[in-house]
Amino acid sequence: MKTITANRLTDGRVVYLTPEKSWTEDADQAVRLEDDATDAALETALRDVLTVVGPYPIEIDADRDGFAPAGRKHVRETIRLTGPSAGSTKLGGAHV
Amino acid sequence: MYKYDEIDRAVLDARTAEFREQVQARLSGALSEDEFKPLRLMNGVYLQLHAYMLRVAIPYGVLSSEQLRSLAYVARTYDRGYGHFTTRQNIQYNWPALVDIPDALDHLAGVQMHAIQTSGNTIRNTTTDPFAGAAADEIADPRPWCELIRQWSTTHPEFTWLPRKFKIAVTGSPADRAAIGVHDIGLRLVKNDAGETGFEVHVGGGQGRTPIVAKIIRDFLPQRELLAYLTSILRVYNLAGRRDNLYKARIKILVDAMAPDEFRDAVEAEYDASRGRALTLPVEEIERVSSHFAPPAEGEPLTDIPTGTAFARWRAVNVKPHKVKNRAVVVIPLKAPGATPGDASAEQMDLIADLADRYALSEIRVSKEQNLVLPHADKAALGDLFRALDGAGLATPNHGRASDIVACPGLDYCNLANARSIPIAQAISTGLHEAGLDDATGDLTIKISGCINACGHHHVANIGLLGVDKAGEEVYQLTLGGVGDGQAAIGKILGPGLSADDAVTAVIACVRVYAEQAQPQESFTQTLNRLGTDPFKEAVYGA
Amino acid sequence: MALDALRRIEPQAVELPGDAAPADAEAAIKGADRVVIRFPTFKDGRGFSLAALLRRSGYEGELRAAGPLLPDQVDDLLRMGFDAVDIERPDGPARNRNTGGAPYIYQPDPGAVTARPTALQIRALAARKATAEALAKELDGATPEAILCRAAQVYGGRMAMLSSFGAEAALGLALVAEIASDTPILFLDTGMHFPQTLSYRDRLVKHLGLTNLHILKPDEAELRNEDPDNRLYDRDGVACCDLRKVRPLGRALDPFDALITGRKRYHGGQRGDIAAVEFDGERVKINPFAFLSPQDVADRYKALDLPRHPLAEDGYASIGCWPCTAPADEPGSRDGRWAGQDRDECGIFDPARAERAKRAGAIRLI
Repeated sequence: MKTITANRLTDGRVVYLTPEKSWTEDADQAVRLEDDATDAALETALRDVLTVVGPYPIEIDADRDGFAPAGRKHVRETIRLTGPSAGSTKLGGAHV
Repeated sequence: MYKYDEIDRAVLDARTAEFREQVQARLSGALSEDEFKPLRLMNGVYLQLHAYMLRVAIPYGVLSSEQLRSLAYVARTYDRGYGHFTTRQNIQYNWPALVDIPDALDHLAGVQMHAIQTSGNTIRNTTTDPFAGAAADEIADPRPWCELIRQWSTTHPEFTWLPRKFKIAVTGSPADRAAIGVHDIGLRLVKNDAGETGFEVHVGGGQGRTPIVAKIIRDFLPQRELLAYLTSILRVYNLAGRRDNLYKARIKILVDAMAPDEFRDAVEAEYDASRGRALTLPVEEIERVSSHFAPPAEGEPLTDIPTGTAFARWRAVNVKPHKVKNRAVVVIPLKAPGATPGDASAEQMDLIADLADRYALSEIRVSKEQNLVLPHADKAALGDLFRALDGAGLATPNHGRASDIVACPGLDYCNLANARSIPIAQAISTGLHEAGLDDATGDLTIKISGCINACGHHHVANIGLLGVDKAGEEVYQLTLGGVGDGQAAIGKILGPGLSADDAVTAVIACVRVYAEQAQPQESFTQTLNRLGTDPFKEAVYGA
Repeated sequence: MALDALRRIEPQAVELPGDAAPADAEAAIKGADRVVIRFPTFKDGRGFSLAALLRRSGYEGELRAAGPLLPDQVDDLLRMGFDAVDIERPDGPARNRNTGGAPYIYQPDPGAVTARPTALQIRALAARKATAEALAKELDGATPEAILCRAAQVYGGRMAMLSSFGAEAALGLALVAEIASDTPILFLDTGMHFPQTLSYRDRLVKHLGLTNLHILKPDEAELRNEDPDNRLYDRDGVACCDLRKVRPLGRALDPFDALITGRKRYHGGQRGDIAAVEFDGERVKINPFAFLSPQDVADRYKALDLPRHPLAEDGYASIGCWPCTAPADEPGSRDGRWAGQDRDECGIFDPARAERAKRAGAIRLI
C-alpha cells in the first residue's frame, strides 16, 4: 500500500496527500492508495507546483491501521514522519 | 579581519536583492522548481528531509563577535535556537521557511555575511587553517589570499555553472591544518630560493565516492599570479570536466583521466594565453587586503592560575601556542560527551561572542573539526576564560582527542544521507567516556559520514565510519589509517559492514587497541603501520 | 530578390553546440561574422568559457547565446562576450530581469568588448594615486638621488626605466646604476634611430655595467601592414609614433606599475610643472631629474665623466628618431623634436591619459 508525500513549498515541511487531493501535515489523514492507483495520484500531485516540491510515492504498512512507513525506505520515512531522532533540535524523536 | 568596502557592500546587496526576487519568482510560478533549484542551491538553500536548510558562508572560517551574535539571532528567529557548524567551516540552519530566508539574508548582509555559493556547482567557500594568523609555525598568513580568492570567486561570470562543486583550501603552515590534499585545489604558501612567497599548487584531490589525494602541478606560483592561474585551472575544468555522470564530474576524475602531466600542460598553456595585467593582482590590493590581517598586539602574562587539575588539563589540551607574546589560541570544542558534533545554541554563540569581546580581540574561528576557536586570547585571561567556558559546558578538554568526533548531520536531517551519523557519534563519545578511554590516547581522529558524499570526512579519519543503506537497514563501514592534515592519506576498509550498535563497539575497541599498544608519542597511523590491521580486526570481528 | 543575391548579402552565420571543443569551434567559425552558441541546458556552463576563447582568438563578429537559458544568466553571458541572448523557454510564464548588471565586478570581463575596471583595479588605482600624491609632496624639490631612493623603496620590483639613450639619457642611467642597479631599462628600438644612438647605447651599457636592458621592437606583422616602405613618418608622423613607440611600449609595460623618466621641468611645454612622482591614471611616473637646471645637468655630466651622445656635439639637444629630430637653438630644449609639426610629445607621456587618474576615486570603508 502507498501514499504520496512531499515538502511544502513555502516552508519545506513534510506533507502528505489527502483523499481530497489537498495536503496535510497529519499523516493519519494521508490517502491510502492501492499500488495501481499510485501513478494517477502522483500525476495529480506533480501538477501542484505552487504548493509542494518533489512529490513521490512511499510504501506504508497495509496491515496497520495507523500510518506506518514500510519497505526499503522505512527508516528515512519514519524520520521524516516523526522528526530527527537525534541532534539538538530533535522534538519527540523517532522510533525506528 | 577583513571589513567590506563600498564595493563589497554593493555586490552583496545586489546579490541579496536578486535572490529575494528569485524566491518571489518561484512562489509566483515564474520559475519552475527545476529552474529554481540550482539558483537556490547557489545561494545556500537546500530542501532537506523536514524543512529547508540554509547554509551560511563563514569566509575561511573567520567570524567577528558581531557576526557570531547575528548568527545567534538567526538561530533564534528562523531556526529552533541552534546552528550547526560544518566541516567546511560554515554554519547550517535546519528549520528556516523559504519565505523567511530573504529576510534572514538581509539581516546577515547587515554584518557582511551571506550564503552565496555555499552550494551548487560553483566555487565554494575557501577554507583554511583555523589558527591562521596566530599559529606559531606559520610561514605566511593565508587569510589575505583566502579573501582575494573569495572576491574573485564570488559571482564569477564564467564559473557559476561548473560540472560539479569546487573547493579550494589554503594553508600557510607546514602542519597543514586545512587538509589541502583532499581539495579540488590545495594551495600551500611556500618560499622560493630568492625568499619570495608563492604557492605550491595541488589539484584534483577529494573525498566522496572516489577519494584521491591531490597532485602537485606547480612547485612555485608567484603570489601576484594567483588569480590568473586559478582562472586557467577552472577554465580547463569547465570545458573538459565530465557532465554526463554526476559521480565522475569532479576535477579529480579529469586530472586522473588526462594524467596529471597532461592536465598540467593544458593549464600552463591556458595560463600563458590568458595571463596579463587584468588578472595580475595589483600590489596595492594585496597590501590593502593584508592590512586587514595585521598581527594582534601582545597580551599580558598569565598570573591568575585556577587551582585544581581541570584548568591544567584544559590548558594542556585546548590551548595552543600563539606567534605573538602572551597571546594564546583557545579551542572551544562543541563536543561535550553525548553532544551533537558542531551544534551550538544561540545562547552559547552569544556567550562566546561576549568572551571574544572581553578576552580575545573580538575574533572567533570555525574549524573543520566543527569546533570554535578564539585565535587571539589574552594569556592573562585564560583563567577567566576557563571558568566562563566550563560554566557553559564548553570546556571539555578533548580538542584533537578521540572524543572530538566529526559527524555530518546524516539521515536525521539530510536528504542525501543513507544512514544516521549523530546518534553514532553520541554513542561513541559517551562510550569512550564510560570506558575511560577519552583521555587514554594522544591525538586521534574519528569521523563519521552518513553517505558516500563524505561530508563527515571519514576517508581522512584515523578511524572512519561510512553509513550505507543495505536492503533498507543502516550499515556502517569501518576504515582505518586515513589522514587529513599534512601528508593526506585515504583510510582503508577493515572488514564487513557493521550494524549501528556493532559500529559503536568496534570504534571503541579500535581506540582501546591504540591506547594499549601505542608506543610513547606514536600516532595512530604509526601504530597501525607497525602492528598491521590484525589486532584491530581481531578486536572488531573476533579471532 | 534572387536567391543568389540573398546568399551574398546574408552574413556568414555559424551555429555551434554549447559543448563544442574550443579548437573545433575556432576552426568552424573561420570567416563567419555571426555565431550562435546553443546551450543544451541552462546548467551547462561550457558555452561561457567557449565564448571567452572565441573572443580571445580574435573573433569580433556577432555572438549570440541560444537555448533554454534563464534571464538570471544574461548579465554573465554578456560579460563573457555574447552580444545577445535568445532565451528559448516554451513552458512557463515569461520573466524579465533588468538588473543592468552588477554595480561592480570582481573579475575582469573575460570576453566583453569594452573591459570595465575590476574592483581590484579601482581600489589599486585609488591607492596608487594617493601614494603618488603623497610622494610628490614629500619629494618636492628633492635631489635625483633622494627621489629614486624613495621610489625604489615603494616601487621596487615593479619599476622600470624608459631610456631613449638620447642626449641626456646617460645621467638617468648612471643614477639607476648607482641606486637600483637591477631596474629593467626599456629601450624602444623604433628602427628609425640614428646609428650614433645605437652605438652610444651599447657604449653606455658597457660603461655603466647595466645588466637588465630590454630592447622593445615594433610588432613585425604590424610593420608589414602599416609601414611596408618605412616611410610612414612622411605621411603621418603620429601614426608612425603609435606603431613604433606607443604600441610596443604598451605591451612591454604590462608588468610595471612605475616608470623612471628623464623628464625635466626646463624641457618646457607640458613638462614645465611636473612633480617628482606623478600618477597617469594607471602607472606612476618617477621624475628624479624634474628639478634640475640645465647647469645642474652639465655639472653632473662633468662630475661623472660620462661619454656624451655623439650628436649632442653637433647641436642636437633632444634626440629621437632621425626623421623627426633636428638641432635646436637652446641647450636642453625639445624645440628640435617634431620640428614643423604641431606637437611636442610622442604619445608615451600624453597627458590626456591622466584624465583617468581623476576618475579613480577614493573607496570608503563601511
